[in-house]
Amino acid sequence: MTSASAPLVSIRALHKSYGPHIQVLKGLDIEMKPGERVVVIGPSGGGKSTLLRVVMGLEKIDSGSVTFGGRPYISSAGAGAKTVIDTEVRRSIGMVFQHYTLFPHLSVVQNLVLAPCKVRGEKKASAVRRAEALLERFGLAAKANAYPAQLSGGQKQRVAIARALMLDPKLMLFDEVTSALDPELVAEVEQVILQLAGQDMPMMIVTHDMWFAKNIASRVIFCAGGVVVEDGPPEQVLGAPREERTREFIDRVFHIKQ
Amino acid sequence: MNYTFDFNAVSLRPLIEGLVVTLELTVAANLIGVVLGFPLALLLMSRIVVIRWPATLFVEFFRCTPAIVQIVWFFYCVPMLFNVFLGSMTMGILALGLNLMAFNAEAYRAAIQAVPREQIDAGIALGLNPLQRVVYIVLPNALRASVPVLLTNGIVIFQQSALVAIVAVQDLMYQAKTLATETYRPIETFTIAALIYFAVSFPVAQVVGWLERRRQVLTS
Repeated sequence: MTSASAPLVSIRALHKSYGPHIQVLKGLDIEMKPGERVVVIGPSGGGKSTLLRVVMGLEKIDSGSVTFGGRPYISSAGAGAKTVIDTEVRRSIGMVFQHYTLFPHLSVVQNLVLAPCKVRGEKKASAVRRAEALLERFGLAAKANAYPAQLSGGQKQRVAIARALMLDPKLMLFDEVTSALDPELVAEVEQVILQLAGQDMPMMIVTHDMWFAKNIASRVIFCAGGVVVEDGPPEQVLGAPREERTREFIDRVFHIKQ
Repeated sequence: MNYTFDFNAVSLRPLIEGLVVTLELTVAANLIGVVLGFPLALLLMSRIVVIRWPATLFVEFFRCTPAIVQIVWFFYCVPMLFNVFLGSMTMGILALGLNLMAFNAEAYRAAIQAVPREQIDAGIALGLNPLQRVVYIVLPNALRASVPVLLTNGIVIFQQSALVAIVAVQDLMYQAKTLATETYRPIETFTIAALIYFAVSFPVAQVVGWLERRRQVLTS
């Protein structure tokens, strides 16, 4: 349906505020090509997570539009107007959150098959087979019947990734997925995401982990004050930023890291 | 104090008969409270004012007046206002049941509203429609969370049911009062009655404590 050069996601003049005084996104324009892995970095409160939540269709927007695969997806005519979200388009996007958000009353495999069975009407047996294969791939085969409370943070987050993949998303969103983890568990989650990157899964990632950003990004966007400050390949934005604000941020982050 | 205790003067039989009535009241009131409290909770959370407002008024009436007043009010006012004459047992069940329904509705409402917003976001991200989110995510979460509170409310009603003795329901308290008058042994009689109430309530309270500890482990 989409040619290689046509954008996968196209965000136009996106404005979003919480209440009358807190403007989070102030006219964001981002175009993402298929196969790109966009890492969004920037200071807290700069609108990174909000951007991902908007793309997931979790937020109302003030104005602007998002198209996905050439189809109109999210739009709002302006202040006070209704946010229109095409829920069918939304289903081709998967998201993983900072706090795992596994369903505590369901076992791991039940977490994975819930949406395929209920949303797509897939047969339980077939969904379970796919779930088990996915868990096997992520080194979680032994945990299929465990409950979320019995898992470590890293395991929970890998299950959450598997759960999102069960719906064959065309785009994956990762919102600070390692921020809540103990340091020694970060690698196992990042490995899984790198593995997906190896299969050319398009993704948008918000992270504070600059090592991970460098390793996974095909493109880095520095977002601050609700606008895109700098946008380019990782070598540029992380290595030799052109914008003063980006440089300050990068210097500070790497300084803390040392 | 030169009082000689004589527990043998108190015959257990009427007390046990009374306990059976008390348990009947408790079970019936809990059926009303657990089953009807849930739809009432949904009304409490309605976005439509004309639905939410009467439901809130109902709940607040029961929460903000003494149970004994509710029972007496029921007993005297319902026959006069609505021209219906029900047996004292039915009246007792209704009064206790409606009271429990109000408290349980609050428990359900709190549990539903305590389901983290993130859980619903995850449901949206997985493509579940609003009804599916409620059925597969919000309700299973909320109902589990509400069990300890429902049980606690249930025992409270078991104890509160002693109040219906004043409208001549022959429950444990009523039997104890009668027995105490007949035997002139109020200390022994009411001690035994208290022990019977305790013997039923205490194990349930332990179960509640265990459920809450288990839940803390499961949700952490």
